[in-house]
Amino acid sequence: MSLFAHYLSLPYLLQGIEVTLEVTALGLGGGLILGLILAWMQLSRFWWLSAFARGYTVIFRGTPLILQMVFAYDALPHIGIKLPAIIAAGLALACNEAPFIAEMLRSGVLGVDRGQVSAGQALGMTPSVLLRRVIAPQAIRTMIPAFGNESVSALKNSSLASVIAVQELTLRSTQLASSTFDFFSIFFASGLLYLLLTGAVSLIQLFLEWLLDLDRAKKDRKFADYLPWRRVDLVAGAEPSQEATLDAVPAPEVAILPPAPTLTRDERTKRAVTIARNNIAVEVSELRKSYGAQAVLDGLGLTVRIGEVVALLGPSGSGKSTLLRCINHLESWDSGTVRVGGRRLGFRDDGRLLSPREVANERASVGVGMVFQQFNLFSHLTARENIAGPLRWVHGMTKIDADRRARELLDRVGLSHRADALPRHLSGGQQQRVAIARALAPNPSVLLLDEPTSALDPELVNEVLEVIRRLAIDDGLTMIISTHQIRFADEVADRVAFLSGGAILEEGPAHEVLTNPKYPLTARFLSVMEADKAPETVR
Amino acid sequence: MHKWLSGETRRGSLSWRRAVLGAIVATGFLAPVGAQALPAGCAALAEKYPDWKGKTLVNAINPHTPGYESIDPKDPSKYVGFDIDLGEEIGECLGFKLTYKAVTFAALLTTLASGQADIVISDIYATEERAKAGDFITYSKVFDGVLVAKGNPKKITGINTSMCGAAAAENTGYVEVPLIQALMPQCKAEGKAEPTLQLYDNNANCIQAILAGRADTYVNDVNTVDNAVKAYPDKLEKAIAVTIPYSVGIAVPKDKPKFREAVHAAVMEIYKSGDQAALLKKWGLDPNNLMEPGLLMVN
Repeated sequence: MSLFAHYLSLPYLLQGIEVTLEVTALGLGGGLILGLILAWMQLSRFWWLSAFARGYTVIFRGTPLILQMVFAYDALPHIGIKLPAIIAAGLALACNEAPFIAEMLRSGVLGVDRGQVSAGQALGMTPSVLLRRVIAPQAIRTMIPAFGNESVSALKNSSLASVIAVQELTLRSTQLASSTFDFFSIFFASGLLYLLLTGAVSLIQLFLEWLLDLDRAKKDRKFADYLPWRRVDLVAGAEPSQEATLDAVPAPEVAILPPAPTLTRDERTKRAVTIARNNIAVEVSELRKSYGAQAVLDGLGLTVRIGEVVALLGPSGSGKSTLLRCINHLESWDSGTVRVGGRRLGFRDDGRLLSPREVANERASVGVGMVFQQFNLFSHLTARENIAGPLRWVHGMTKIDADRRARELLDRVGLSHRADALPRHLSGGQQQRVAIARALAPNPSVLLLDEPTSALDPELVNEVLEVIRRLAIDDGLTMIISTHQIRFADEVADRVAFLSGGAILEEGPAHEVLTNPKYPLTARFLSVMEADKAPETVR
Repeated sequence: MHKWLSGETRRGSLSWRRAVLGAIVATGFLAPVGAQALPAGCAALAEKYPDWKGKTLVNAINPHTPGYESIDPKDPSKYVGFDIDLGEEIGECLGFKLTYKAVTFAALLTTLASGQADIVISDIYATEERAKAGDFITYSKVFDGVLVAKGNPKKITGINTSMCGAAAAENTGYVEVPLIQALMPQCKAEGKAEPTLQLYDNNANCIQAILAGRADTYVNDVNTVDNAVKAYPDKLEKAIAVTIPYSVGIAVPKDKPKFREAVHAAVMEIYKSGDQAALLKKWGLDPNNLMEPGLLMVN
C-alpha cells in the first residue's frame, strides 16, 4: 500500500482517465442524440415509428453492454465497418444508453401536467412551441437527477471497454497490477480516481439543480441548500408562508376591484334584444361523440351570438366539458359540425382534418380563449410570463408590448402586486384570475370557461366570479360557461342550457329556465344544487 | 550479439528515439528495438516478402504475463518481455513496425479474426482447436508449473487425481481448462469430489485467488508461475512442473498464407542466428523452451 500515492499520480493512469472520459462522453452524447430520436419516435402519432423504437429498446436494454461492445468491435468489421476501439466502445455505450435516456425523456415529457398541455393548445401553441416553451423546461428540471444517475452509470460502464482493448482506467490498472504484482495499491488508487470522477458528476448535477431551481431567482435558494447535510425542504422550503397566509384572506383583494353593476330587469330585456340581432359567434349542430359504447355527445346543437353569455348546466358527465373542448377542437368528435366565427375550426375547406400545427395556428387566429377548472397555469412561469409568454410565442408580440399587456390584464384582475409570483405561490382564486387574464390576453372572440370555480375553496369563489361578471357586463365578451353556480348563472348569463345525456334538454333565458324549469329533470337538478350549496354571497 | 544485448547500446539508441517518438510512445506505441545486427538472412527475406515493408501492423497481446508480455513497471507506456522483443525482431527482419492492442486472453484470436489485429504474439499455446481461428507458427516448448499456496496444503502433484476436490483458478480460454475438466469424470470414478474451476480474465486475478484462499491451485506456464513465486515468496510455491503436449505459437490470419510464410521464415532466421536463445536468457526464461519453429494449421 506504500505506493498508493505514487499510483494516484501516475501519468499512465491519468491518461487512462482521459480515455475513460472520452468513452463516457461519446456514450452520453451519442446516447442523448439517439435517446431524443427514440423518445420522439415513441411519442409520435405514427404507430410504426413507436413500434420500431420499442423494438430497439427491447434489444439494447435487454442485452449486456459487454456483448454490445464486443459486437461493435469484433462483428462490425465483418460487414466492412472497422471502427477504432474508442469509437466502437463509444458507439456501443451510446446504443446502450439511448433506451435508458429515451425512457427518462419520455417520462419527463409525460410527467408534465396534461392540463398545461391543453392550456397551451387552447392558447394556439403549435406542438413545437408547446414542446420548447412548456414541456421541455419542466421536463428537463425533473430529469436532471435521473440524468446525473445515468452519467455516473455510463462513467462506470465505460470500464467494460477494457474487453475490447480500450486503454481506459480499468484496463490500465489491471495491466499495471499484472506487471508489478502490486494489486491492492493500484486498485485502491484507481477506485479513488473513479470516485473523484463520479463525485464531480454529482457536483455538476447539484449545480444544475440549483441553477434551474425556480426559486433561485427570488434569492430564497442558495447552492448550499443542495448539499446533503443541509436539511432544507427543496419543494416547500421556499414557500413564502407569510405571504400565502395573507393571500388566503380574499377580502382586501376583491375590494380592489370596483364592484360590477348589476343589471336591472329592463336593462336585461334591452340586452337580450341587442344580442338577438348580433351575428352568430359559435354554432354547434348535430354533434356526436362517444367513448366506446358510451355516448358523451348525442346530437347536440347550440347557437351562441356575439356578446351573449351562455351558462351550461347539468350533472357531471352530461357532456358540458366535452362540448367546450370540442368547440376549440381540443378534442375530436365523431360527427356533426362546429363553427366559430363562421369557420370550421380544425378542418380544411374540403372537410379534411388539419395537422396539429395548422389547428394551433387556426385557434390563435380565430381566437377562442379557454379557462380550465384546474387553472392549468404553466407552473414554471411567473404570473406575468404566463400571460406575456404566449403573446410573444404565438402572436409574435415584442417583449415590451407583451409585458405591457400582461401588466394591464393583471391589474384588471387585481393581481398586479403578484406579477412575479410562481403559480404555486398563489392561492387557487389568484391562479384562476391569472388564468382568465391569460385567456383574455390575445383578445379572443369567444371565451370558454369550464367550471372555473369548481376547484376552489368556497371563500375563494367570489373573487373569480367577480372577474367573470365584469367581463360579461363591462366588456360584452361572448362566453360559454359550464358551472354549478346557479345564482351566478341567473345573474350573469343571458341564456341557460341544461344538458343531460350529451344533448340539450332545455334552454332559454336564464331567469326563466332557472325559476321555472319545464322538465322535471331540470327542476330536480336545480333543487339539489340549491339545497347542496348555501346561497352564494354574489351580489 | 553481445553488442545487441548490451544495455548501453540499447539505452543510447533509445534516448534519441525517445526524443523523436516521445509523443507516439506516450500513446502506447513502441519504438523498435533499434539499430542492431539483424540475423543474416533477413535482408534476403525482406526482398522476398516486400509487402509489409514500411507498414505498421497491430499485435494483439494479453499483457498480464511478466517475462513474456506486460507493461514496463518503470515506464507503463511500454510493453516489455520475450514475446515483445521477438515480435519487434520479426518486424525488423521483414521491415514492419508493431503497435499493440491489449485484450483479454480469450479475445486474442477473435481480435485477430475480426481484422482488428494482424498478428498475435502473446504466449498462446497452439492447439488444433485454436488453429481453426488462425494459423500458428510454433516457436517454444511448453512447460507448465503448478502454483499452490506455501506448503502445498492440498498436496497437489499435477493435473491428476490429486486435484480432486480442489479449486483451480484458470484464465478463461487457457488450454489447462479442458485438461482440468477432463479430471472431473476421473475423480467421480474414484469416488472423490470433482475439482472446481474458477475462471478469471488475467493472470493477476488467478494469483490473487490463491492469495485470498479462494483457489488451491493455478496451473500455467512455468515461467509465469516462477515469477509469481518470486513476487510472493512467503505465500506461494511451485508444486511441480508438468509437461503439456503443446507448443507456444504466433497466430496469423488464416486468409494470409504469404504473411504466414514470411513470419515463419523470419522466426526461423531468429532461431538459427541464436537470437531466440539469447532472448530466453535475457528474460530469465528456461533455455529448455527453445525449439525449432514449426507450423500448425487446420482447415
